[in-house]
Amino acid sequence: MKFLFTSLFVLAVAGKIFAADTATDFNLANKLYAEGKFSEAADYYEKILQTGAASPNLLFNYGNAEYKAGNLGKAIAAYRRAELLAPRDEDVRANLAFVRNQVQNDAPRASDWFRLAGWLGQLTLNEWALLAAAAFWLTFLLLATRQIRPALGARLKGVTIFTAMLAIFFGAALGLQAAEHFSTETAVVTAHKATALIGPFDDAQTAFDVHDGAELSVLDHHGDWLQVSDGPGKIGWLQKSQVEVLPGA
Amino acid sequence: MIKFRKHIFPIVGFLFLAALGLIPSGARAASFTASLDRDTISLGESATLSLTFEGGQSKNVPTPDVPGLQIVQTGTSQNVSIINGAMSSTVTVAFSVTPQQTGEFTIPALTTDVNGQTLTSQPLKLTVLKANAPSPAAVASGSQVAFMQLSLPQQKVYVGQTLTAQLQIYLRDDVQNYGNLQFTTTPADGFTLGKSADGQRYNTQIGSRVYHVIPISFALTVTKTGNLSLGPFTANMVVVLPSQNDGGDPFMAQFFNQGEQRQVTLATDQINVQSLPLPDENVPTNFNGAVGDYQMAVTAGPTNVTVGDPITVRVQISGSGALDALKLPDLSGWSDFKLFPPTQKTDLSDQLGLEGTKTFEEIVTPQNTDVHALPPVSFSYFNPDDGQYHTLTQPSEPLVVRSAGATPLPVIAVNNNSAPQNQTPQDILPIEENLETLAQASPPLVTNPVFLAVQSLPVLAFLAALVWRKRADNLANNPRLRRQRAVAQLIASGLDDLRKYAAANQPDEFFATLFRLLQEQLGERLDCPASSITENVVDEHPVLRGAPENVLAELRELFQLCNQARYAPVRGTSELNSVAGQFEKVIGELKDLET
Repeated sequence: MKFLFTSLFVLAVAGKIFAADTATDFNLANKLYAEGKFSEAADYYEKILQTGAASPNLLFNYGNAEYKAGNLGKAIAAYRRAELLAPRDEDVRANLAFVRNQVQNDAPRASDWFRLAGWLGQLTLNEWALLAAAAFWLTFLLLATRQIRPALGARLKGVTIFTAMLAIFFGAALGLQAAEHFSTETAVVTAHKATALIGPFDDAQTAFDVHDGAELSVLDHHGDWLQVSDGPGKIGWLQKSQVEVLPGA
Repeated sequence: MIKFRKHIFPIVGFLFLAALGLIPSGARAASFTASLDRDTISLGESATLSLTFEGGQSKNVPTPDVPGLQIVQTGTSQNVSIINGAMSSTVTVAFSVTPQQTGEFTIPALTTDVNGQTLTSQPLKLTVLKANAPSPAAVASGSQVAFMQLSLPQQKVYVGQTLTAQLQIYLRDDVQNYGNLQFTTTPADGFTLGKSADGQRYNTQIGSRVYHVIPISFALTVTKTGNLSLGPFTANMVVVLPSQNDGGDPFMAQFFNQGEQRQVTLATDQINVQSLPLPDENVPTNFNGAVGDYQMAVTAGPTNVTVGDPITVRVQISGSGALDALKLPDLSGWSDFKLFPPTQKTDLSDQLGLEGTKTFEEIVTPQNTDVHALPPVSFSYFNPDDGQYHTLTQPSEPLVVRSAGATPLPVIAVNNNSAPQNQTPQDILPIEENLETLAQASPPLVTNPVFLAVQSLPVLAFLAALVWRKRADNLANNPRLRRQRAVAQLIASGLDDLRKYAAANQPDEFFATLFRLLQEQLGERLDCPASSITENVVDEHPVLRGAPENVLAELRELFQLCNQARYAPVRGTSELNSVAGQFEKVIGELKDLET
């Protein structure tokens, strides 16, 4: 028992020290940003992110610093990660849209799937999961109530059908969102200029050139290489060090 | 019938001869010859090469390959002749031979296989002479149906300079029509040929004849220094001249004389040009190779920005010269700015692509607040018209650069730090001051086993309620079962009462309870009212007749004990407990009784 209390105490103290360090680094990064030292600011934001902790504001500021430092790809990746945590944050979406406009992008993204994905992306995957679970629970609890109290059956019928339809709807949205999250990946090019090759070899021929900030669909992994697509007919291999891979399309 | 005979004999004869022609001629000697229709032609003209196969056909007609000659197969003809009853077949394959340069060419001996025989032709010589423009005397005499002249505005040029060459095709006034103009050679040593454009056609008097003039302009760019040559250009065209055999009536001839076609070869003189290098003196330090005559305009905006904000610097260079080759003026002095890759666009204002405007857009971002002006932009070029370098300079423009975090953007303050609506943002929104609660990255809930397991709880609750509902419904619809369960509960509690009365040595209450329990249990088993159960039922009820005799004996005994208790109630606790045990045993056996 004494060991348990000691461990909890140590953890609590360590947590407070970590939080204080993080806040210090964050404020220092903000100060560097205000002074126009964007690369240094980005380094401090990244240092916090490397601890495995993240918040929408931290990722947002990191994206800003990378953009101002001229790293469009890293900025887009940061904004997209912030969007995963806070999909309805208008500031994140505005800056992401702004930086995307600066990217030389050959492949249009406004397909039907992207419009649907954009609509589903109004909520996080966890939010869809909780909504679907709530509707699911409510539906079955109402069904159970109708079994226990048959007299309430007629009155609860409409509500039960409504919650069942909600559960189906939220479940379908969750399924689509989960499928997109787990079955698709996007590679955001973080190198200032990269060349996709026709094979996963250094001496393979050039397939096409990509620019910093281009968002490519990941088709396959092979060692340190990723097979990516930049629209119909444009398929090539990039080194993983040239991109940041994010879940979803 | 006679008419039929008159026609049938020639047909049969023809078929007979044709059949003879189909007979393999392997037995006869075949031959293979090659010939040219002319052995001397001018550059720009074409000769015809004929490969003739007699006595058979070649399966693989050879195509000669001679450097400097363009040889293209144009057709095949066959001739069958009968001389003194002997039939011979000749197949001729024709090629068009067009020289690419002057000189002596040899078409080598060709080898082919004809009906199993390997045959070889003799080599042929073709002399290609330089195409010469007609002499001025010939032109003035009016003997030339068509001729062509090439001219350049100047014979002294600079490397990198662009200029316009003029080509004029003259057609004599009796040329009714013309077409199929094809340039066969356009030598331009030290020049790059650019776009061409047709000019306004006109008529002019030369000597005693009027000529129709077709002017063609084309752009040239000088690519090297030294003595350069342009031409001679050669071309072929087909002209239509009045037929010499017009039937004699001039009036009718003007309506019905369709004229005769004639192919003519056109050639220009060669023009020699001296190309000079750009001067080494007074070369501006920022000169990057632009040759021509230009003007420059520079605009930049916005000029009131925060550190890191993008500023668009637009450099427009207008004028004449090799616009495609123009490069963005040197911006190496812009060290306080981050420069992004520029974009460029060329808007041409003439058909030859030598005049227009080239626009460069450079995005720059100030890196600190010490920047107070956009540096001047300078562009230098060499003007071949006056042979001098010129420098155009756009003076520096004042610039206000604020600290990125010092002053929030007004639009952000108004909109509570949210994205402005219905207007194109000029920059990203500023950073957030608060860190918010940090969270460790965790996998989504849908991959959490606990979350998934918890989702089974409402299903299990519903299934439990469903089972309960089924059981309740079954009970409600089965009075026998309901009585069975009620009696079972009654027996369970009654046994407790019996043991309690036995322990308290209360025989009256004990036997009264025992009798009631016997009535209830037997009534339930026999499906009759409990009040109707007496000892006689044990012997009389048909259901109990199938019960084991020991069970019936014990039932009788229990009924008798109950009856005796009314008359001899005094019994000990142990005896009462024994009776209670006997009752419990009988009850257990009665439950197995088929009813």
